[in-house]
Amino acid sequence: MTTGGNGIVWQRQNLRELPKFRDGTTYLYLEHTRLEQDGRGVRAYHPDGMLTLPAASLSVLLLGPGSSVSHEAVKALSDTGCSLLWVGEGGVRLYASGIGETRSALRLQQQARLWANPDTRLRVVRQMYTLRFPQRLPEGLTLAQIRGHEGARVRDAYARYSQAHGVRWEQRQYKQSDWTRATPINKALSAGNACVYGLAHAAILATGYSPALGFIHTGKMLSFVYDIADLYKIEVVLPIAFREAAIPGDDLERRVRTGLRDHMTNLRLLERMAADLHHLLGGDHEDPEPTAPGDLWDPGGDVQGGINHA
Amino acid sequence: MIVMTLEAVPPSLRGELSRWLIEVQPGVYVGNTTALVRDLLWDKVVQHVRTGRCTQLYRAANEQGFAIRLHGDPRRTLVTLDGFQLVAVRNTRHAELQGEYDPPEDDDKL
Repeated sequence: MTTGGNGIVWQRQNLRELPKFRDGTTYLYLEHTRLEQDGRGVRAYHPDGMLTLPAASLSVLLLGPGSSVSHEAVKALSDTGCSLLWVGEGGVRLYASGIGETRSALRLQQQARLWANPDTRLRVVRQMYTLRFPQRLPEGLTLAQIRGHEGARVRDAYARYSQAHGVRWEQRQYKQSDWTRATPINKALSAGNACVYGLAHAAILATGYSPALGFIHTGKMLSFVYDIADLYKIEVVLPIAFREAAIPGDDLERRVRTGLRDHMTNLRLLERMAADLHHLLGGDHEDPEPTAPGDLWDPGGDVQGGINHA
Repeated sequence: MIVMTLEAVPPSLRGELSRWLIEVQPGVYVGNTTALVRDLLWDKVVQHVRTGRCTQLYRAANEQGFAIRLHGDPRRTLVTLDGFQLVAVRNTRHAELQGEYDPPEDDDKL
């Protein structure tokens, strides 16, 4: 920071000032709010009043219906590495997203390499399933057998929580067109899953991977988001969704989101997501200097860019 | 650790608070107390603040790591967004935008 004349001349954001993704606060959901930049801060004009957002420590800002953002606010949020996701009412459904924190393509290239080769892809798929079974899977299972184990694990988890909280469990229903008629537990699960999707999406963008190149899921633009969210859904969403669905009353979706925040903090979910992503895709190296020019590809190895090769 | 601030309060209240906390700047108090003492100090301040304003911040086992209490300033209120505490200020810009960004009447709950 240097001072010149009356005002402060702010130099380019010192990246060391920004908390790393895993240390940040999880998320903030805003609706009917206008975001503007004022001074150096990001302000949200909420129905209750003007809120100053601690944008630099925020991992992801979920924008619900009735929200609008000024160009300057987006710039300020992107400078501080806060992901923006545009979501449906109550944080359910994801419409669009901004870019994340990383400016380097190294990890994305690594993901694409692992994804494009059937052998390495199968290895990542096995690792992903292994993460879901703390008691470890028997050796030498085929993929079909692993999927069978996974199905049984999910069914048992639903039965266990259903019994523990006295909430009747029939089947998972998620009809976007018929939201209001879903059973409370299904609504609670959908609202909770949406939070985990948002967070997984933010984690993927913030660590510099692509949400589209999924290993288990395939063919959707958010396939990798589903892969990552599925690692934690049972452990994170089910206890809170069943607990809240057992309590009668309005506001179920909001109660689920509030409960999830505490639960995710206790589980240190952000930290684990970032660590698991690096563990799965082997991208645990430091980012290069963000302003340095990129290299040029060559079959014999990358060649330094930003210089004249004449 | 707790932090309290007082504005436009009777002088004796400031003296009273300095028995427990250190006044690092006029009206800003820092100290370490038990949860019980912290709550009793807050009750005492709210009771004697008259037309002034006061705040209290203290460590809490939530995601932010602290909790906020506000009293006495009608323009500043506390909002809790899914468990995250922020201070909402009702200023002129907010008044300008209020009509535009109020949620529409929710008529499907009728």
